[in-house]
Amino acid sequence: MSEKESIKTLLKEAEIYRTQGLLADSKAKYVEVLTLIGKNPAFSKNQKLVDGVKGKIRAVDKSLHELKERPDKPELTQDMQSLIKKLFTFSQTKEAAAIEGAVALAKFGQYDKALHEFHLLLEQGILPLVTAKNIVRCYGALKKPEAAVEQFTKWLSRDTFSFDELKQLRSFIIGVLKKEGIVVRLPEVAARPKRAAAAKKGQETFLEISAISIHFQGGPFQSQDLDFEVQFQSANTVTVHVPSTRKEVAEFLAPGTRLDDIQCYSPITVFRSSGTVAGTATIKHGPKQGDFTLDISIDAD
Amino acid sequence: MAIFNAKDRIIECKLVYYGPGRGGKTTNLEYIFKAFNKNTSAEMVSINTMGDRTLFFDFLPIGLGKIRGCEVKIQLYTVPGQTRYRSTRKMVLKGVDGVVFVADSLEVRRKANILSLRDLADNLKDEGKNIFQVPLVLQYNKRDLAEQGIPLLPVEIIDLDLNSKLKAPYFSASALKGQGVGATLKHALLVTLRQLQKELQWTR
Repeated sequence: MSEKESIKTLLKEAEIYRTQGLLADSKAKYVEVLTLIGKNPAFSKNQKLVDGVKGKIRAVDKSLHELKERPDKPELTQDMQSLIKKLFTFSQTKEAAAIEGAVALAKFGQYDKALHEFHLLLEQGILPLVTAKNIVRCYGALKKPEAAVEQFTKWLSRDTFSFDELKQLRSFIIGVLKKEGIVVRLPEVAARPKRAAAAKKGQETFLEISAISIHFQGGPFQSQDLDFEVQFQSANTVTVHVPSTRKEVAEFLAPGTRLDDIQCYSPITVFRSSGTVAGTATIKHGPKQGDFTLDISIDAD
Repeated sequence: MAIFNAKDRIIECKLVYYGPGRGGKTTNLEYIFKAFNKNTSAEMVSINTMGDRTLFFDFLPIGLGKIRGCEVKIQLYTVPGQTRYRSTRKMVLKGVDGVVFVADSLEVRRKANILSLRDLADNLKDEGKNIFQVPLVLQYNKRDLAEQGIPLLPVEIIDLDLNSKLKAPYFSASALKGQGVGATLKHALLVTLRQLQKELQWTR
């Protein structure tokens, strides 16, 4: 292939990559053409050709720059936000579905709308700690540390959360903002505020558990460790999900079954405890239909 | 995970078109929407507010009619292929029943294909699924560009890169021209429904 033909072929390739949206590949080809032209005096004297190729490179650079400057996740219309909530909500219980919908909005970068929903959920008292953490995550993603601090100060002055929950939220906020490269000074949780609602005794001090590992000392799973992610937690009772493919696990863990060795993972520590299966249920509808949920009551001491 | 409404005998399942950015996933769905519009139960939704790049996902619900006494509804999705949208891809993969991996046949996209397939395997793993067990079909797209003298990877090479261990069914295609789009979808539905039939023990 003559050099002229090579240049023609490369220009064609570059142009096709550009129309395909493969801008970096397109630029690479144009640069290749320019190099080839530079090596051949017959072509390099052709200023029109050189300028033409340079112009193409500038145009591709401009497109690349525009692409880089575009927001990753622009604000969508209300209809689109509703569609996201509808398509990415799988839970059947009202509370879980409400949280899941708002989380989906946040995951798709619709932080303002998600914040609005989380605030509503918090007002309704739906899974307050989980909801509050999601509010913090949104502020973190929006790089609004001052809003997170202000929010925390408000929580401090209200009785929505217990002393331990506020302490947890405090470290959570610091952690989330740190991940975003932001260091903030948050007010200390100085005194135990009055507990909101009618929290039962013992609920206030129970740590949030994110996962458990059950070590079986007998039965069909003797000596095995099975791990479960905690879906929900109410005081010392955690709800875990068991897929239908592990039916034998759900069947073995019948209500009343004692579990003497449970490793509990909380965001701030890991501790060993024991507990009792408080209830089991089969998911009857939705994407997890046929799977099981287990309620496990963790011993408080 | 598919939804099986035993009372009304309706099955809803989710098929996700995955692959590197600018590989032709949206073009596949657009062609399906045009070509099979009598089966589509609603408009195709493209949440891509920035020109022609998918920033969120595309969504197309289609109905297959009755199969073994059940009304089968399919939700087709695409993911944004650009590397930086990993969290969106993870969200879209939630509850997936089958995957079409749209590979780009352009020689310059060889690495992007491999990285995207690896990303798929990782994201499926996070969903508790194994790429070797998920119903999967590969599509080697943009074969038509060979006519324009653009360097393409031979099918054997793409297959070696992506499919030597998976051994998944694969199809050559030109989504822009519609070639291979129907065959890919048909086979993806076949393997997905076959798996669901096993999982849901769905019989007449």
